[in-house]
This record gives sequence, structure tokens and C-alpha cells, in this order.
Amino acid sequence: MANVVIQASDLTLAYNNGKNEIIKNANFSIKKGEFVFITGPSGSGKSTLLKSFYGHIKPTHGSLMVGGLDLAKISNSKLQELRTHMGIVFQDYKLVNEWTVAKNVVLPLMIAGYSIDMQHTQAQRLLRHVKLSEYANMYPYELSGGEQQRVGIARALAKNPMLILADEPTGNLDEYSSNVIWDLMENACQQLETTVVVVTHRIPTVFSLQYRHFIIENKGVYEVH
Amino acid sequence: MKFIKDHIMFILPLVAILLGIEFFLVFDRMTASYEQRLRDGYSMLVVSKEPMTLQELQSINSNIGKSTKIEKNEILKEVSLGQNPQDTQEILNALPNFYIIKLAKYLDTSALDNLEKDLMASKKIKRVETFGNSYSSNYKLFSFIKFILKVFIIFMSVVSLFLVIKQMEVWGYVHRERMQVMEIFGAPIMLRSGILFKVAIVDALISTSIIVLFFLYLKYQLAGISEVDALMNNSELLFQPSDAFILLACAIVIVIISVYIVVFSSREKEA
Ligand SMILES: Nc1ncnc2c1ncn2[C@@H]1O[C@H](COP(=O)(O)OP(=O)(O)OP(=O)(O)O)[C@@H](O)[C@H]1O
Ligand SMILES: [Mg+2]
Repeated sequence: MANVVIQASDLTLAYNNGKNEIIKNANFSIKKGEFVFITGPSGSGKSTLLKSFYGHIKPTHGSLMVGGLDLAKISNSKLQELRTHMGIVFQDYKLVNEWTVAKNVVLPLMIAGYSIDMQHTQAQRLLRHVKLSEYANMYPYELSGGEQQRVGIARALAKNPMLILADEPTGNLDEYSSNVIWDLMENACQQLETTVVVVTHRIPTVFSLQYRHFIIENKGVYEVH
Repeated sequence: MKFIKDHIMFILPLVAILLGIEFFLVFDRMTASYEQRLRDGYSMLVVSKEPMTLQELQSINSNIGKSTKIEKNEILKEVSLGQNPQDTQEILNALPNFYIIKLAKYLDTSALDNLEKDLMASKKIKRVETFGNSYSSNYKLFSFIKFILKVFIIFMSVVSLFLVIKQMEVWGYVHRERMQVMEIFGAPIMLRSGILFKVAIVDALISTSIIVLFFLYLKYQLAGISEVDALMNNSELLFQPSDAFILLACAIVIVIISVYIVVFSSREKEA
């Protein structure tokens, strides 16, 4: 049980105060160190499901345990604390444009209260990892999309999170840049035993069938075997 | 450039509010000092058969602040020159007691009338005579100006407050993205809004300084050369060191409230 990172029981997600149900009575669990894909047609609720994992959307019915906490009942301060153990990657990167690349990367460390020195050394390590060392003092808008997303990945990895959540992380990128991103995420999963959940409309061809794959259809979440 | 513009749009209305507050403080002091001068310049002469203590007088009307007895000998000196001592003694015995009465606080015309009536109603008191400039006409004009000024200041402050909040919303828009990203990564509210608070407090300090410097200039430079009597004679009322603290406190309270409005309105919405 301690190995389960995400556990959904009869999970129901809805907008407009429950009137517009997107996911209904879904049951699944994701264990530590697993790499999971979520696919489905546009508008099926992939992003909605992913947002529920970081508490942006609360279950309207059932329970959703993440890291042992029930997100249906979690307090704001507990959720805040839980989020410091997650790394989230967005299709549109969501970098802070008025901050340098280095500062963007260490946001989770800044939140955790690391000293400036520590932040500095970690920024160098992380940027080396995503091969952006020379970009440390540039601003996100000066980078290409693929480079910005590598910054996004570095930020997500900064604090060795227990869970990485990514919504179409390669949605705006060409095949080459996409493969770099997939490599980085696979690496994190294999070397750091980080759980990775990726929403995408198409599973990249570089991945064989070795990873779990959920598909959303008619409000249900099904595993593809 | 945009940074400067953003600040000015915030500082200007804040300055307007502080200006209103400072005007209010100054006018309040001027009114108080004017009232005091009126009060001090006003006195009543009370003539009584028997000697009366201050307590006795105050028990008739509590608005009496001070009573000074005029020594009969002093009066006698004036009238008894060249009279023989026996007559003088007789006059002395026949003379009533004279008291000069000062007010405890500023009174309006009707309260003064009441005071006079109360005194006259006492059996011991034979006569009441009042001296000093008439309270009413000057003072009524003064009170009216005071009222108009208050209304104006409140109106100006409300309008300015809207401008402050408006500008804060613009800021909120600028900072929203960053604050939301930080929130998604679990940053506590103080960290998310830290920069806003810093900027806002700096602006509060700048605004306060502008007003303080302006009034100091007014007090030490302009008042002297203005040739306006009311300003020249009352320049010490124009600005006092404690005003700086009051203004700073007001400015900081205003910006903290504004920042909180922005911070809470930019929280990620639960969809
Ligand atoms: N904030 C919201 N308020 C109301 N309805 C919403 C909101 N966000 C999404 N929806 C609705 O929920 C449904 C699922 O949206 P979601 O974004 O999860 O789809 P998706 O699977 O991620 O699609 P895509 O592949 O196009 O990104 C859609 O019908 C959408 O209109
Ligand atoms: Mg989506």
C-alpha cells in the first residue's frame, strides 16, 4: 500500500458544480516508480484528470489518494505541502518570463527555502542535466520551444519529486525535441524511481509497450493491455 | 519605462489620499487652536453677595473652568482715593464679591446662554456680565468650512482608493501568471506575494515622503513668504512629526489591503 502513489476509487470529476461530469466512477492505482501514459480523444478529460492529481480540481464523488492523502478532503496547507513533492510539466511550459532560466529551474528549491548558494549549485547541476548550461542567465522568451520545455523538465526534477505530472509535454515540439524530452522523463523514472504520469494524444514510437497505458473513453478510465 | 508608469499610477492616488489625511490633520489642529483662542478670550464677570468657591460655581454649571476672585481692596483703591478710612471700611463691607470666570471648554452660543441663565438663577448671584468677542458668526463659518472640507476629503479618498485598487488589479494581471505557477509548485502565500508586498511598501514609503516633504516645505518656506496671516501665524500647526507616522501607517494599511485583494483574486480558481 505504501507503494501506491495514486489511488482512485469511484473517482468522479465534474465542472459547473457537478453538472458537467467529465470522469465518472473511475478506479485505478499507480505505483511508485511506474511510467504511465494517459490517452484519449480531444475533450475526453485527460487534462482534467491530470489536474485532479495535483489538487487543482477536487473529486465531486469517490476518493483520490495521492501520496497517502485524500484530495477530496485535503486542507489548503496540506495540499501546498503535497505539491512540493510533485513536478508538473505543461504543454505551454509555464515558465516565469521575468526570471532567468536558472531561477526558473530552482523554483521548487526556493519554495523549500534552500540557500541562494545551494540554489546556484543545483541550478548548474540541473541545467547541465538538460544540456542548457550556457542558457542559465537568459530569459525563457529567448529560448526555443524545445529548450523551454527542457527548462520545464529541469524545474520539475529540481527537488527529486515523488511524482511527475506532464500534460502534453511535447505537444508543441518537433520529433527531435520531443525525443529529448521523452528521454529525460524516462531517465528520471528509471534512475530516480520517480512516478511519471504523462497525458498525450499519441504515445511516442520510441516507447515500446513496456509502460502502462490508460485510455479515457465515455467518462471511464480503462487500462490498455 | 512601464515599471515607472505602473508605479506612478499607484503612487499618485496614494499621494492624493495621504494629502487628504494630512489636510484633515492640519485643519483639525487649526480648528482646535482657534477654539482655544476663542475660549481663552472669553470671560464672564459674576457678582455675588457672598463669597463663592470654584466648586460652588461649577455645581451651578459644569462648563465653568476657572474662577478668579477680584480682591475688594484692589477695587477700593480705585474708588476710595481721598476718602476717610472709616468710610472706606463701610464701602468695603457693602461691596459684593467679584469673580472672573473662564470656560472649561469651547461652548456654542446656546450653551453660553444657558450658562448665563444658570448663574442668574442662583440666589447668591446678583449680576452676570460677559466680555470677549462674539462666538457665533465667525465660528459658524469656520464649522461650515470644516464640514465641507471633511466631505471633500472623504470623497477624494474614496475616488483615490478606487484608483489604487484599479492599479493593483493591473499589477495582479501582470503578476498573476507567476503567482499561479508558484502556487502550483506549492509556494505559500507570503512567498507568492512577497514581491508585490515589497513593491507596494516601497511605494507607500515614497508616497509618504512626498507628502512629508511637501508639508515641510510649506511650513518652513512657503508659509513665511506667503503673506497670508493665517499661515504665517500658524505655521507650527502645518506639520508635526507625528503626522509622518500617521501617514506612513495609513499608507501601509492601504497597500496591504490592496495587495491582499490582488493576491486573493489571483488564486487559482477551482474550476
Ligand atoms: N474550466 C473548465 N470549466 C468547464 N468545463 C471545462 C473546463 N475545462 C475543461 N472543461 C471541459 O471538460 C472537458 C474535458 O476537457 P479536458 O481539457 O480535460 O480535455 P482533454 O482530454 O485534455 O482535451 P485535449 O486533448 O483537447 O487537451 C471538455 O469538454 C471541456 O470543455
Ligand atoms: Mg488537454
